[in-house]
Amino acid sequence: MTNSVAELENSDCIFVIGSNTTSSHPLVATRIFRAKQKGARLIVADPRKIHLALMADTYVRQNLGTDVALINGIIHVILERGWQDQGFVEERTEGIEELKKTIQSYTPEKVSEITGVSAEDIVKIAEDFGTADAASIVYCMGITQHVTGVDNVKSLANLAMLTGNVGKESTGVNPLRGQNNVQGACDMGGLPNVYPGYQAVTMPDNQKKFESRWSASLSDQVGRTVSDMLSGLSDGSLKALYVMGENPMLSDPDTAHVEEALKAAELLVVQDIFFTPTAELAHVVLPGSSFAEKDGTFTNTERRVMRVRKAIEPVGDSRPDWQIIQEISNRLGYAMAYDSPEAIMNEIAEVTPSYGGITYDRLEGSGLQWPCPDRDHPGTKFLHKDAFARGKGMFHAIEFMPPAETVDPEFPFWLTTGRIHVHYHTGTMTRNSPTLNAEVSEGFLEINPGDASQLGIREGDEVKVISRRGQIRVKTVFTDRVERGLVFMPFHFVESNANALTNPALDPIAKIPELKVCAVRVEKAA
Amino acid sequence: MIKEVKKRVKELLDSGKITGFLGLRDMNGHVGPHLFCDGGDLEALVLGDRERPGDSRYPLNKQLIHLARSYPEDTFGVLVRGCDERGLKTLSTWNQLHPDKVVPVGIACPQELAEACECLRPYPDEFVCGEKVEGCPYDSVAQLDGIDLAARFDHWMREFEKCIKCYGCRDICPMCFCKECSLESNELIRTGDIPPEMPLFHLTRAVHMAGRCIDCGLCNEACPADIPLRTLYKKVADIIDEEFHYRPGYVADQKSPLNILSQPGVE
Repeated sequence: MTNSVAELENSDCIFVIGSNTTSSHPLVATRIFRAKQKGARLIVADPRKIHLALMADTYVRQNLGTDVALINGIIHVILERGWQDQGFVEERTEGIEELKKTIQSYTPEKVSEITGVSAEDIVKIAEDFGTADAASIVYCMGITQHVTGVDNVKSLANLAMLTGNVGKESTGVNPLRGQNNVQGACDMGGLPNVYPGYQAVTMPDNQKKFESRWSASLSDQVGRTVSDMLSGLSDGSLKALYVMGENPMLSDPDTAHVEEALKAAELLVVQDIFFTPTAELAHVVLPGSSFAEKDGTFTNTERRVMRVRKAIEPVGDSRPDWQIIQEISNRLGYAMAYDSPEAIMNEIAEVTPSYGGITYDRLEGSGLQWPCPDRDHPGTKFLHKDAFARGKGMFHAIEFMPPAETVDPEFPFWLTTGRIHVHYHTGTMTRNSPTLNAEVSEGFLEINPGDASQLGIREGDEVKVISRRGQIRVKTVFTDRVERGLVFMPFHFVESNANALTNPALDPIAKIPELKVCAVRVEKAA
Repeated sequence: MIKEVKKRVKELLDSGKITGFLGLRDMNGHVGPHLFCDGGDLEALVLGDRERPGDSRYPLNKQLIHLARSYPEDTFGVLVRGCDERGLKTLSTWNQLHPDKVVPVGIACPQELAEACECLRPYPDEFVCGEKVEGCPYDSVAQLDGIDLAARFDHWMREFEKCIKCYGCRDICPMCFCKECSLESNELIRTGDIPPEMPLFHLTRAVHMAGRCIDCGLCNEACPADIPLRTLYKKVADIIDEEFHYRPGYVADQKSPLNILSQPGVE
C-alpha cells in the first residue's frame, strides 16, 4: 500500500475495485466502514455483488476483464469536466498529453458498451472521486490476476495521479496483500529480479555488494517466475523444484498442466506445515512450523514490520523455516551459521536500505513501517510524499484489451474465482480448523437463478463445469450476486478444484496468470 | 493505583490464599492476560490503561472458567472492575465458577470510563484503589428509543449488514459459556453467509444475552464492524429489568428469572 490502513478512515472517497474486502481483508473493511460513518463516498466496482456493494453509494458490476476501459472512462470524464488536480499534474507528473490522447475515445457511452456499466454511473464515479479532497483506491486480485494486470494497476495509478491523490494522507493506490507476510516475502527478494529491498539483480553495483557480503558469486540474470518454472519442468530445462509454503496444485491455473510439470521434476521438495496436495507429489517433504511455533517478523500490507513470538515449541519434527533452509544450505556446501532470527534481521538491515533502521529492539509494540533507513528514522506512513522514486510520476496511456479467453457457443459462461470469508487460499490451514470448516465445508458454483432455470437445474444440484482445460463437479448456489452469463467459484476446495478450469494465460510483464477470467460450460451432472 | 493492587496481590500470593492471580501484564509493548503465581514477580502487572483508562481489557472471567475447570481444587485471584464483578456473581449463579474458589481484587473505574461505558455501577462491592463515581444512564438506548420504530429498525439493519460473522462478540463474551452455540447451527441460522441472516443472527444472540449480559462492553470493542452491540444488549437488559425486576450481577446469589423458569418444581 502506498498509504496505511488506518488512513482509510479519514478518506472522503474510497474506490474499491477487484477486492472483496469484507471477506478477505475484514480489518481493512473496518476502516472503510468508519470512513463511511464519517460521510465518505464509497464506490465499489466488482463483477460480483459482494458484501461491500450493499453499503456502496455507487456499486457497478463491470464485465470481467474490462477494468482498463472503466478506469479510462472515469479519467475521460474527470478531464472533460476539469476535476483533475492541475497543480499536481504539472508539478509532480509527466506524460499527461499522451494519456489525454488515448482516453479521448473512451466516452462514457463507448465505455458503457464495453463494461456494461451505465454512462451515468461512470460520470457519478468520476465526480465522487474527482471532486473529493482525499480519495483512496483499494484493490486486490480482481485487478491483478488478468493478462492486463499491469495495465489495470497502471490505470489506477493514472487515476490517482490525475486527481492528486498520491503522496498525501488518506489517499493512494492501495493493493491489499493476501498472506500476512507476502509483503515481507517480496521485500526479502522472493521475486526473480531483485535482492532484498527491490535492489535489481541486473545492476552490477548490487551484484557486487551482495557477492562481497555473502562471499559467493551471484548471477546478474533475472530468474524464472512461477509459470516459467513450471514450463521449465515440463520441457526439461529445470530439474528440481523446492516449494515452500505454497500449494500450486490448488492455487495455480490449469491444474492438469501443473500436475504434469511437477511430476516431471527429478526432485520435488515441499516444505509446509500441513501435508498438501502438492506435498503428495513430492520426493521430500520438510515439515515447517507455524506462526505460533517460531520467532521472527512479519511485514504486513501497509509495510509494517512486526514481531511474532513463539508461543509453543514446534510440534513433532517440524522446525522454523530459517533453520531448515540453513541446514540445507550447509549440506549443499554454502555455510550459514545464524544463531537466531534476530541475527538474520541484523543482516537484512545491513544490506537493505529501506530496512536499514529496523532492529528488534525497535519492534516492541506496533512495529515500524518501511522505508526506515536509519536508527533515528520513525518509519514511513505513506509513500511518494514529495517525489516519486523515479522523480516525476509517469502517466501511461493504455488501451483496453479484452481477456485472453472469451465466451462462445461452446463455452457460454464467464467464470471468475475468488475467496470466501472463512477460508484462506487453498484451505490447507483453514480447512484444518474444525470451526471454520464447519461454517463452509465444500465448494460451490454461484449461478444466477435465471441461468439455472434455463439449464433445468435445482439449487444444490451437482453440476459439471467444463472449460478447455478440465472439468469438475460441484454443487450449485442460486444467487443474484452474479448476473446472468457469469458464474463464480471459490478455489479453496480440492474436491471441486476451480483451478482445474482456469486459464494460464499470462500478463506479459508481471507473468501473473488470468485466474479471474475464463470461459466455461455448465451441464447437469448425470 | 497499581501500587495498592500489587500490594494486595502480593499479600494473597505470599499468604497462600490463592494459587495464582489472573491479571494483565505489559510485555513487549502489548497488554495481555497473565497468571501471576509469584508474589515477588509482579513488576509487569498493569491495570490495562494504555492511552485511556481501561482501553486494554480482556475477558479475564472467561479465562478464569477455563482455569477453574483445569484446577478445581485451587483458588485464584482475579482483577475486577464493576462489570467483571457482576460477571463473577452471575457466573456463579449459572454454576460456572465457585465463589469460594475466587478472590476478586477490585478497582473502581474513573468518571471518564464510566461515562464512555454508560455504566450503572462503575465499581465493585470492594475495591483496593480508585474512587467511587456515580453511575451513568443508558443515553445511547434513550437516544434510539427516541426515534420512530421504522427508523430504528432501519438503523439496526444497517448496523447488522456490516457483520462479517467473525463470532468475535461471542468469543470474547465472558458470559458465553455454552458448549453448543445456537449461532453455529445451520438449522437456525444458515451457515456460510456474510452478512449472516439479518436480523436473526444478532437477535438470537441478543435473546441469549437476556438475564446474562453484565454490560462489560467487550463485544463492542471486539467487533471489527463497529456494530454497537453493547447498546443492543443494554436495551435487552432494560426489558428484563422492566419485566422481571432483575439485572445480572447486581445482587449476589440472585438468579436470572430465565434460569429459574427451567427448574423443576418452580411455577
